Amino acid sequence: MEDVTYETKLLERRRLSDNTFEAIFYRPSGFEFTAGQRIRLIHGGLERDYSLANAPDEAVLVLCIRQVAAGRFSTLLSATPVGTAFTFNGPHGYFVFRASARPPVFVATGTGVAPFVAMARSSVSAFTLLHGVRQAGECYYASLFRSKARRYVVCLSDEDPPEAGTFHGRVTDYLALQLEPDRYDFYLCGRGEMIRDVTWLVDDRFPDSMVYTEIFY
Amino acid sequence: MKIYTGSGDRGKTSLFSGERVAKNNLRTEAYGDLDELNSCLGALTAALEESHESIAEIRQIQSDLFHIGACLATTPGSPSAAALEPFDEQKSLYLETAIDRMDQNLPPLKGFILPGGRMPAALAHVARTVCRRAERHTVGLSEDKTTGQTPDAYQAVLVYLNRLSDYLFVLARYCNHLAGEADILWKK
Repeated sequence: MEDVTYETKLLERRRLSDNTFEAIFYRPSGFEFTAGQRIRLIHGGLERDYSLANAPDEAVLVLCIRQVAAGRFSTLLSATPVGTAFTFNGPHGYFVFRASARPPVFVATGTGVAPFVAMARSSVSAFTLLHGVRQAGECYYASLFRSKARRYVVCLSDEDPPEAGTFHGRVTDYLALQLEPDRYDFYLCGRGEMIRDVTWLVDDRFPDSMVYTEIFY
Repeated sequence: MKIYTGSGDRGKTSLFSGERVAKNNLRTEAYGDLDELNSCLGALTAALEESHESIAEIRQIQSDLFHIGACLATTPGSPSAAALEPFDEQKSLYLETAIDRMDQNLPPLKGFILPGGRMPAALAHVARTVCRRAERHTVGLSEDKTTGQTPDAYQAVLVYLNRLSDYLFVLARYCNHLAGEADILWKK
């Protein structure tokens, strides 16, 4: 199937933390997606995949961007004037919520939380979310997740002592030490190393669970 | 994009439907055969003249095999199965049309033939045998009683693979015929 290309433009940037922001884009008519899917954003010969962080019925498209010094696209998005035109194609991917009798456990590091934001902003609730970040200031979307999750755990890898209501350590530490052995539906979005480590933990500690992954790079 | 995570380094893989299974699981064997078959077809198209009439057909078959691979990587009845478009048995019909089209230009088959001849024909025979293996593993999957699947869960795929094997046999003969190469008949 041929990719359909859409025209859009940057409408706004909303700061989430010192180095993370939401880029809000115009939503062209005819573009439909399911929460958890991503688009391929194109501009000036560059292209990059981003998960959408808005609900499918919202009037705009929202991307969650971490500004990385060496990241050409994130640098572009952080500096380009509001109103700049972009193109994109999509939606891509199958990282969507699949309801089942098993409790869902979402695991994200950094802006890998974006597809779970889209799910929480739509009809998905009563999930466990482990969000791995370095510092407490990076647990953006905390109020959304506190209202929609059954259990929302911010895993702080750098800060010591941990803030109240957070877990000090990586998401893998929480899974190995805190999450009760059971059969779950695991949804993993983050860097390859996290996905590997969590998948192995699932094999060892949570057999017969389902694992759905989205590599975030 | 970085394509590796290493999560399969300990011999397990994740199905499209989310289960973690051993890489020698019946299901992974079956869609692995399709991957191998698809690669054989890629080699076959590389060996054909760019203008060969069968290239577009083979590319369509390669796309169909991707679709079948996704179906085989999904446990029937799982929540993920609903996200997949079912494989349509009607897709076998264009294979039958192609078989009939090639066959009417071929001399009658006079006995068993040995796989071989020109390179495209030899590669079509290799693809045919891999296709038969994919079919055998799919039969194994269809007889698996542990998944609670309906008996006809893979019927459309079985029809397609059976027809594709026939297509590849005829295509092998057709490639040789177009190149002026006669069938190599089996002699006792």
